[in-house]
Amino acid sequence: MDSLLGSNPTLASNPAYSFSKAPYNSAADNKEHAFYPYTDNGGSTLGITGEDFCIIAGDTRSTSGYSINTRYSPKVFRIGGDDETGEGAHIILSVVGFAADGTALKERLNAIVKMYKYQHGKKISVKACAQRLATILYGKRFFPYYVTAILGGLDEDGKGALYSYDPVGSYEREQCRAAGAAASLIMPFLDNQVNYKNQYLPGTGEGHDLEPRQALPLPRHDVEQLVRDAFTSATERHIEVGDGLQMLVMTKNGIEELYHPLKRD
Amino acid sequence: MSSPFAINGGACVAMVGKDCVAIACDLRLGLQSLTVSNNFPKIFSYGDVYLGLTGLATDVSTVSDLFRFKVNMYRLREERQISPQTMANLVSTSLYEKRFGPYFVSPVIAGINHTTGKPFICGFDSIGCIDFAKDFIVSGTASDQLFGTCEGLWEPDLEPDDLFETISQALLNAVDRDALSGWGAHVYIIEKDKVTKRLLKGRQD
Amino acid sequence: MADRYSFSLTTFSPSGKLVQIEYALNAVNQGVTSLGIKATNGIVLATEKKSSSPLIDPPSLSKVSLITPNIGMVYSGMGPDYRVLVDKARKVSHTNYKRIYNEYPPTRILVQDVARVMQEATQSGGVRPYGVSLLIAGWDDGVEPETEELKDEGLETDAEKKKASGKTGGILKGGPSLYQVDPSGSYFPWKATAIGKSATSAKTFLEKRYKDDLELEDAVHIALLTLKETIEGEMNGETVEIGIVGAPADHLLGYEGVEGAVGPRFRKLSKAEIEDYLTNL
Repeated sequence: MDSLLGSNPTLASNPAYSFSKAPYNSAADNKEHAFYPYTDNGGSTLGITGEDFCIIAGDTRSTSGYSINTRYSPKVFRIGGDDETGEGAHIILSVVGFAADGTALKERLNAIVKMYKYQHGKKISVKACAQRLATILYGKRFFPYYVTAILGGLDEDGKGALYSYDPVGSYEREQCRAAGAAASLIMPFLDNQVNYKNQYLPGTGEGHDLEPRQALPLPRHDVEQLVRDAFTSATERHIEVGDGLQMLVMTKNGIEELYHPLKRD
Repeated sequence: MSSPFAINGGACVAMVGKDCVAIACDLRLGLQSLTVSNNFPKIFSYGDVYLGLTGLATDVSTVSDLFRFKVNMYRLREERQISPQTMANLVSTSLYEKRFGPYFVSPVIAGINHTTGKPFICGFDSIGCIDFAKDFIVSGTASDQLFGTCEGLWEPDLEPDDLFETISQALLNAVDRDALSGWGAHVYIIEKDKVTKRLLKGRQD
Repeated sequence: MADRYSFSLTTFSPSGKLVQIEYALNAVNQGVTSLGIKATNGIVLATEKKSSSPLIDPPSLSKVSLITPNIGMVYSGMGPDYRVLVDKARKVSHTNYKRIYNEYPPTRILVQDVARVMQEATQSGGVRPYGVSLLIAGWDDGVEPETEELKDEGLETDAEKKKASGKTGGILKGGPSLYQVDPSGSYFPWKATAIGKSATSAKTFLEKRYKDDLELEDAVHIALLTLKETIEGEMNGETVEIGIVGAPADHLLGYEGVEGAVGPRFRKLSKAEIEDYLTNL
């Protein structure tokens, strides 16, 4: 018997049973299970400030992979206003990245801003709200809200204020900022057209002696046109951007909402 | 960041204007985040045709030399300059020859066809698929940024001077948002019987 | 040991001749006469189609061949060698050119490629030279002779003038060109010429008839007159073969409605077309 088995090496060295290994179904084999808590829902947002206003815009497309979930899913929100209408809000927020986290973050900031008003009897300043948002984001430092946020409003002097964030709360006040899928396309365009980067005054010298063109706060009409141009351009070259452009314009008279259709292909 | 296309960095862009074309590149050569040289042009001339090459620097040199050889042979054989269209097909077939071991470059061609007098630009992937564009072609590590600036600044039928301003602003502002590109630029404005090469200083960081 | 027998058969004689090539030329000079005439707007290639037996079906025989849409070829000499050369010419026009540049070779480039094939047979081991001379006719895009003259007279700048007439090879200049290629691999550009048995008398005839401002129609006429002098049997649509390089034949594309599509310039004349010309002779 021994020699019989010995002539068949497979049978001799690998019997079809084992006392040491746990039983398993070879047909089903081992399965690996994993839960991915994040999705990228694409889209882009953009904020620009002027002398006495602040505009935050975002496209309304929501994607997962190559599919379009919906052509109208807003990424810009009023913060601290009436539940239904947003009436009375004095802060605007855009979130882009993982839409579920974006919604959760917006809801949370909204609640906090309202609580602030109830507890302090006054509206929160944009500066304070900006700091508070950073704290919220950093609070989830090890399981972050997977979003890039832009917060806007009017500062204590009535000037346009804009704050941009990374997903874990690092933030900065800026003149303009693009975020999301097409940020890399839009941002250099904004550098050039809002802050006049790489523009010099002709005849003021040679090479590095040239005087840079001074960036002045742009009028609202020009900014709106720039935002539309930025988004039509991004729509043209980025598949995750398109369908519609939503703009919230914050002035001392309140928040105005504008909508422009974008290409849906 | 270990993509061969992004080790050395660099950017290139070509644009069509009214009876003219433009092609421009940055001058940086780097090793990941370390800048090694600020004088590494990525545009090469082959008679009437200009070829921009971004990607792996060693392949940029090799491919530009290869086409210098091929175009010189063409000129000797045919006793004429190579046209931009013919050059485009030559580049395409040459890259596809290396289908399974490609040169890590993204070429861009610009020129005016002297038979038809028409401007011509096109771009390629690293295995030779041609992208014939009527407006502009971008390539390199700042290609996303270039898509944004070009799409925002370019308009049809620009005169040579305006085309120079457009392509220069498109390139400079794009490379300023890309850590791997920049450190000055070369800009060629190609007209029917005149080519103007300009050197842009740009940000030196 | 094996390479002992792979020496070139074409070996210099003490007097400096390659007799194998001379023998090949003898084969050509026994072949049926073929001729070509270049006109201002095209070229004609013509030859006699002789059949050794009345039982042969003439339409299935073909001596004038299309190589690329704008280039055609005819021969005098050995038929089988010619067919091999036609195959090779068609092949190299793709491998050496179209598959690289996505366009067909200019006539001179193709002529050089074919000439190289023929030359290699005079220097390689184990082969003999091709027993044919070829007439290769083609049309090249580019600056055509007429427009060039206009430019010279006109208001064009010096730079442009130089560009248009810079080279002699007929490559920069577009328009028609006609070449003869011999078994040795030498090639010559011609305005009009003949090869084969009656080449000498045919050339004398052509010298008298040729003018610089010939139109293609006149050229076909002269080609038939020349052939008539040398032809032995009856002249009709079945015994004469003609190929022309002329205006783009869009009807030969096989489709229509595609913008920018240009038909082949080289085509063979049908039996009916040849007979039309013959009745007007």
